[in-house]
Amino acid sequence: MTPDQRGHVDRVVPVYAFTRGRTRAAGQELPLEAVVTATGLALTSGASLQMESRAIVEMCARPKSLAEVGAALRVPVGVARVLVGDLANSGYLEVHLPRTADGDGGPGHEILGRLLDGLRSR
Amino acid sequence: MDSVRVDTPRRPPPTRPELIPLKVLVAGGFGAGKTTFVGAVSEIPPLTTEQHMTSLSVGIDDTAAVPDKTTTTVAMDFGRITVDEQLILYLFGTPGQSRFWFMWDELARGAVGAVVLVDLRRVDDCFPAIDYFEDRGLPLVVAANAFPGTEVFGDRAVRDALALPDGCPLVRMDAREPRSCMDALVALVEHALARSLG
Repeated sequence: MTPDQRGHVDRVVPVYAFTRGRTRAAGQELPLEAVVTATGLALTSGASLQMESRAIVEMCARPKSLAEVGAALRVPVGVARVLVGDLANSGYLEVHLPRTADGDGGPGHEILGRLLDGLRSR
Repeated sequence: MDSVRVDTPRRPPPTRPELIPLKVLVAGGFGAGKTTFVGAVSEIPPLTTEQHMTSLSVGIDDTAAVPDKTTTTVAMDFGRITVDEQLILYLFGTPGQSRFWFMWDELARGAVGAVVLVDLRRVDDCFPAIDYFEDRGLPLVVAANAFPGTEVFGDRAVRDALALPDGCPLVRMDAREPRSCMDALVALVEHALARSLG
């Protein structure tokens, strides 16, 4: 499905211009569900950031996943990953990564138990 | 009595418990109800995330006239459930077409597990998803979505038709009903927990 079919407005500036042509963040490859939150630095100096970056730190006043950031900015996840990675590296965002029991495995039983309790109580 | 509010010149960032994101994949054939499922349980209106993919065109997209690399956009619906003050569960409706499966490896990494939605009138559509998750040892539940006429298939017949191993839960559900979707999620997490303890 192309962006046009999804009814998105055409961008004047190609999305990769926001990332200065880079497709990889300086840091780690963030998974789609990685959650980011604005830091104290974002509260005090976020206003000086470029528009797209400022929009990210503002929306991350409440926790947002990388996927949510991409959807809100209407950019592909790869673009959001670069922007978020840069903002994390410069101290504006804190990244909360999934905790896996072992390497590539899923969450451990303690977290699964809490997830189960939380879902059952809904 | 109202407490006295003291204004401080600069608000420090609120202290939060460390957040822990989790994800569940919602898979199944085209039209099996993935988007409906995500929308039924998500606390936010379902969002769409897009990934630009560069892939070799092999004529699937009717771009045979341009047999080189093409860039396609793969869209995925997703939703969120805030479980408690620390846990945030994301649900990703995974693209069903097999040619996008190279994406699934990234999606499957670290996942709690997968709900594989099945339209019992078209069971063939779900085999690839079941095979994929079983091959990678990812916990899965098969959720038979209530389409008209599917109630006549008994559980035994469904398990046989899908060649489900005994340990794999089968739930009958209706993706339009939030309660029903939540029950399917609970069944998945119970299964994943049992396996992590086993």
